[in-house]
Amino acid sequence: MFKFDRKQLAIPYAIFLVLFVILPLLVVIYYGFTDADGHLSFDNLVFFFSSSKTIGTLLYSLVIAVVVTVICLLMAYPVALILAKGVYSRKHSFLMVFVLPMWINFTLRITALKEILTLLEGNLAYHQFANTIICMVYDFLPFMIMPLFNSLTKLDDSMIEAGRDLGATSFQTLIKIILPLSVPGIISGITMVFLPAMTNYVVLDMVYNSTYIMGSLIGSYFSSYDWNNGSIISAILLILIGLFTIITNRLAGDGERRVS
Amino acid sequence: MKNRILLIAMLITMLFSLTACGEEQADADTIVLRVSNWEEYIDLGDWDEEEVIDIDDDNNIFGENSMVEDYEEWFYDTYGKKVKVEYSTFGTNEELYNQLTIGDSYDLVCPSEYMIMKMMREDMLVPFSSDFYNQDIKTNYYAKGVSPYIKNVYDELAIEGQSISKYAAGYMWGTLGLVYNPLEVSDEEASHWDLMLNKKFDKRITVKDSVRDAFFAAITYGSYDEITSSEFISSDDYKARLTEVLNRTDVDTVNYVEDILTQIKNNVYSFETDSGKADMVTGKVVANEQWSGDAVYTMDQADEDDVTLCYSVPTEGSNLWFDGWVMLKDGIANDADKQLAAESFINFVSMPENAVRNMYYIGYTSVIAGGDSDLIFNYMDWNYGVDPEEEEYVEYNVSYFYGGEDGDEDYTIYTSPDQTKRQLYAQYPPKDVVNRSVVMACFDDESNSRINRMWTNVRCFDLKSLLD
Repeated sequence: MFKFDRKQLAIPYAIFLVLFVILPLLVVIYYGFTDADGHLSFDNLVFFFSSSKTIGTLLYSLVIAVVVTVICLLMAYPVALILAKGVYSRKHSFLMVFVLPMWINFTLRITALKEILTLLEGNLAYHQFANTIICMVYDFLPFMIMPLFNSLTKLDDSMIEAGRDLGATSFQTLIKIILPLSVPGIISGITMVFLPAMTNYVVLDMVYNSTYIMGSLIGSYFSSYDWNNGSIISAILLILIGLFTIITNRLAGDGERRVS
Repeated sequence: MKNRILLIAMLITMLFSLTACGEEQADADTIVLRVSNWEEYIDLGDWDEEEVIDIDDDNNIFGENSMVEDYEEWFYDTYGKKVKVEYSTFGTNEELYNQLTIGDSYDLVCPSEYMIMKMMREDMLVPFSSDFYNQDIKTNYYAKGVSPYIKNVYDELAIEGQSISKYAAGYMWGTLGLVYNPLEVSDEEASHWDLMLNKKFDKRITVKDSVRDAFFAAITYGSYDEITSSEFISSDDYKARLTEVLNRTDVDTVNYVEDILTQIKNNVYSFETDSGKADMVTGKVVANEQWSGDAVYTMDQADEDDVTLCYSVPTEGSNLWFDGWVMLKDGIANDADKQLAAESFINFVSMPENAVRNMYYIGYTSVIAGGDSDLIFNYMDWNYGVDPEEEEYVEYNVSYFYGGEDGDEDYTIYTSPDQTKRQLYAQYPPKDVVNRSVVMACFDDESNSRINRMWTNVRCFDLKSLLD
């Protein structure tokens, strides 16, 4: 009577997708484009782009996100490369060391880091921006290392050997062979880090940075019952991230698909 | 196809049965009372042996079980009916209101005065039954015990012509002030709101990350000249005028406050939600805007670490706040048993010994003065009194709170001099402090959105600042 079909395995996720992804998204869009009385309105959108304060917040969040992502990438790439291509026989154990912090709750980690920074700097409030960057990099670095490591491990060693045979120096091998082939990993790392860095305001609160980023702005609207303005910002963020993903995918070369 | 539908149906029933498992099946005759209160705002019991409050031989107060469990037992003993309390908590008034608007249902909640007024305006509350304030009924502990001073404030605080006493019974109350480290900040410096702008303490002071508390501090600072002029202070309607000035929300005032708060933002360590207490103890900051109850807690914590902190309510004026119990229409739904349970819950927590337990446990000040019972006054004396024959002492009078005449000797305790600017001062402020403290009312929607927008402006990164 009950015929099992492999397709049925997808049903739990389909339900999840509808209930927790698509429906909330529709609600966000509905609120974003209506006013307090529920009438269709573009005031929220216009307001966002006409205030130097909200645009300033967008810019501030973007700067934080870009800086954090770039630093994470620069720090993670060599680590991932050494781990994946190095001579260590227990590379997965080494990887563990780098990813281990992910097992500890992030507020706990930042609290600890805060104390170290206080020892180094004295008063944290004088370096709010730098502290924000440091804590976010600390927080998000494992999310960059993992995909890079995965994509570099899968990289076919014969490609590198072929390059060497044809007379490429180590540097040329890195730039012309390893780097292009690891682009999917880079992209997935960037997407894992960029969005959280734009919205994770808990980190800012914890390091005493009282300037809003996009996440805190949404939170402040929601706590003053302004669902409409909060939703439009969520929608704008969504569009920005969507655009960002499309652009990076294009840059990654036509037809290349993410593998990790 | 049929199978697929069957599977989906199964999954959905599973989903619902999972959520249903969590709820205990109650007897049909058990009254279920859903209470929502602030986090850490009631005695949860389980005290250590040595924590017993031995005010006198007859009255050993000890929190063995939680207040809620004791209430359930007391209710059964008193009314012969079973009651089951479903107790939950909220973090801010706004959070509670949001929970209610998205459909959470409670019977009895404990928001602050402005949220009570907002709920009254939106017709969300059930008035107390007619004999709630009848002092002749034995179990009406709230009516018998509430401080005459607090009762009066509740009677006078009204919205749309209705006194909030009709819907709300007080729970805790206090002032808004500054906790400071006397080794770094002088008493004089801490006695004005301009401390937050004092360049001497650049990046060493925190302010509450709450629009109303930040707004209030800024507007009181901004109105300094007006509200401290001798003509203003000596006028007959001083309190009413002060209330009017500190509740202004017109465009000019809000713009002005925005300027002040922007300066404050640049001068302070941060706007904090919960880190301020710990940062005072560790010495990261030297002063911190706080509610009196949190101030008591902070000073107690600091004492344990051998750090002495003080509390001050600025002399130009401050905010008087109250959290009170209100019954929700949506939850009570004309159920007489439920309303009885809700009102008796208020009365139970208002019994003097229970008020003491709560105060001891959370550090805030109960609105209960005790009525015929001396317990509350004795608790204050037990907590802060010193033996005048053996130690240095000052007289400290709080007769206004207990309903005595000004300076009534019955309500004077002998306390150590430093308590007049520490826990005692925070927990039971002297009369001059409450005289210069006003309630911040519930604003209308237009003012609210103006103030919220102002607050967002203060907190956002201003693009124009790059051009300067």
